[in-house]
Parts: sequence; structure tokens; C-alpha cells
Amino acid sequence: MNNIGQASASAFQLLISGDSDIWEIISLSFGVSFTAILIATPLALVIAFLLAFFQFPLRRALIALFNTFMSVPAVIIGLSLYLLLSRSGPLGDLRLLFTDKAMIIGQIMLSFPLLVAMAHASFQAADRRAWETAITLGASPARAFFTLMYEVRFGLIAAVVAGFGRVIAEIGCSMMVGGNILHATRNIPTAIALETSKGEFAQGIALGMVLLVLSLSLNAGVSIFQGKGELQA
Amino acid sequence: MSDLITYKNLSISLSGKLVLDIDELSMPAHQCTLLTGKNGSGKTTLFKIMSGLLKPDSATIYYQGLEMSWKQAKPYIQKDIIYLHQQPYLFDASVADNIAYGLYRAGESKASAHTKVTQALDWANLSHLAHRSAKQLSGGEKQRVALTRARILSPRLLLLDEPTASMDTDAKQQTSLLLQRLKTEGISIMISSHETHTVEHIADRHLHIDSGKIKLLDNIQPPKVTILNTSKNTHKQ
Repeated sequence: MNNIGQASASAFQLLISGDSDIWEIISLSFGVSFTAILIATPLALVIAFLLAFFQFPLRRALIALFNTFMSVPAVIIGLSLYLLLSRSGPLGDLRLLFTDKAMIIGQIMLSFPLLVAMAHASFQAADRRAWETAITLGASPARAFFTLMYEVRFGLIAAVVAGFGRVIAEIGCSMMVGGNILHATRNIPTAIALETSKGEFAQGIALGMVLLVLSLSLNAGVSIFQGKGELQA
Repeated sequence: MSDLITYKNLSISLSGKLVLDIDELSMPAHQCTLLTGKNGSGKTTLFKIMSGLLKPDSATIYYQGLEMSWKQAKPYIQKDIIYLHQQPYLFDASVADNIAYGLYRAGESKASAHTKVTQALDWANLSHLAHRSAKQLSGGEKQRVALTRARILSPRLLLLDEPTASMDTDAKQQTSLLLQRLKTEGISIMISSHETHTVEHIADRHLHIDSGKIKLLDNIQPPKVTILNTSKNTHKQ
């Protein structure tokens, strides 16, 4: 117990002292995950909207597919991507394996189904009159789409936050395609796993604290947004 | 009286069921048409087709006398015809921003839109609500804001789905007054309503829809009506 207490105190010290290794890992982790979410979100929102507002062949199959992929383990995504990007794989010539780009691709694959499924639920619950009103008042379909997104913004923000929460804390995919290389592809979850296995609990706890604070902040943010949405509904 | 728009051979099936089968429906310019019919008779579907929100299975459009396909007519329809839901949808913004919505889509500058919105709010006696959140308005206030938001775009035809449904007497009177003023301004109006007594005083003719077919029940102020439409069962008066 005493060891845990000491390790926690050391972890706190590491964070506030601005330890360069720790903050480099945190910075890489956030950079990769933000980039992945930034790339995945626009297309995911468009697909979610199309699935919610239009009828077309295979629509139901696509919804089922995205719902299924939402719960695929990160390590399976990592394994699939590893096989694609490895030297002998079909995309081996791109030489992306064990780079931050590979981690971004992996996190896009991880977050995309979750973003689509959650945004689809938001659009599905949206009032169809919002779309029709925008169109009848002269908005182009693209403009009406943005209007609709504004009307369901609380649900969409919750989707993006949930997507970010999924990728910032995943370890399986980042470990497989990133390789946990110091100063290159080591992010928070892979660093925690490594430091813990080495018995260096302080660094692991420090990084865990960052994830915990992030998780609490994201949840608080979503609750505030959703609360506002309920008040204005 | 010339016709603003005529829909011929208009039909649509939804979920395998024939919902509308109309031989001809003309909308005379500057007239108010009352449309009645039972729930599920196709009134809302007809309005959505007339306003370009729903694509019919078949239709030939005569817009100001020119024959065109549905696809060709759609830009004109969406520019000149505005549909208001039974319970109008107001965006999650202030009343003034809601009224300005269509103006911005039409490319109006902020200054010009502001002037027009101020005038429109005065016109509808809604100035005191300008900065109120539209989501917090009563049903009657929402209907008046929606009418003002439509009027500011100078439509040629307004399609109103049960505009006075679920309103108290005072709200009905105020809405009815606005409708009268819209008609006086030369905007053609088509109103579907079960409460015919609240709108029949401004109607020039009365159409009835039953099982997807339309018939003319009454030329309230003959001889303003030019149309007759429709199905094989249609009868003229």
C-alpha cells in the first residue's frame, strides 16, 4: 500500500515537473487520436445522415455492419492492419508499419463504426421536419444537412467524444501497428503497459492519471452538452 | 384567372399502396383554396409533392403555362412554393434568426436581412419576440413565426397543413388574420383543415380529397375557379 502511495506521489511529481518523456508521450497520444477523429468524423457524419434519412438497397445491412464493427476488439483491427501494412502485405510498399501514420489509420478504423452508429442514432431521432423546413425555405441539400447537424449537435458531439474516448485509450491496435517505439510511436496506453511490466509504476500511474482526468472531463462535457440539449428540446 | 401551376397525372404509391391518383390539379394565382379530407386521405402527401419535398411516381407540371417534367419544375417549385407543417418546425435559434433563415439561403446580406426581418416582425406584431428562443414559443406564436418566415421569401404559393389545429380561440383568430393579410398581398394559399369554419371566410374554393382523388366541392366565390381536376370520379359544381 505504501508502495502504491509512493508511486502515486512520484507520478504526480513527474507530471507537474514537466518530465519531457512523459509529456512527449501524452502529446503523441493526443496528436494521433485527434488526427484520427478529425479525419473519420466528416465522412462518418455524412454516412450516418444518409443511413438515417434515405432509403437505398443494403441500407439495413450497412447499419447492422457498422453496429457489429463497433464492438470489434482493437487488437483484431490491429492484426488486420498489421497484415496489410507488413512488408509482405498488399500495402507493404507504403512502409507505414510502426509509424504514427499507421496508428492514425488504425484509430480511424476503430472509431469510424462507433461514430457512424452513434451519429446515425442521433439523426434517426432528429425531427424530419427540420430537414424539410430547411429545404422548403430554399436551403440546398448540403446547407440543409448543416442545419440538421446543428439541430442535433448535442448527440453528434457525444458521438465524437465517445469516438475520441475509444481511440485515446486503446492499446491493441497501437501496439501492433505502432510498435511502441520511444520518441516515435509510444502513446499513453502502450507506455503504461511497458512501464508497468518493467516495474516502473510511477510513470504508468502518471499516464493513467492523465487518462483518468481526460475520461472524467469528456464525460462531464458530454453530460453538460446533453443537459443543454434536454433543456432546449 | 390564370393558373400558377398545374399538376397532371400525379400519382404516388407508398409502401405498395396507391396514395394519390390525381388527373389534374391547378392552383389559380392569388386564390385561397381550402382542402378537406379524412385523416390519411393524402393531404400531407399532396402538399409535400406540390412543394417539391416528395417525388411523385408520375407527374407532368405546367408552370405558368409551360409544360415540364418533375425534375425541370423542381427548382421553380422550391423557389416559389413553401410548405408549412401542421406543427411548424422552428430551428433552435431566436425568432429573428428563424425568420432570417431563408433570406441568408437566398444570398441576402446581413444588413439587408436585418432590415427585412425587422419589417416582417412588425408586420406580424411579433417584434416583442424577436430575441426569444423559438423553441420556447406557444403553438400559436410558432405558427405566426412560421408564416412570417415564409412570407419574407415572397412565395407565390403557400401550402398550410392544418394551420389552426390545437390552437385556442385567440391564437386561431390571430393566425386567421395573418392568413387574410397574406391573401390580400396576392399570395396564393392552399389550406388543409378540419376546422373549416376558421378559414372558409378567406377561401375562394373548396376541394375535397378522398382515397387519393380530388374533387371540387364548392366555388365559394364563383367564377374564380378555373380548375377542375382530377379523377374519374370527379364531379363539377
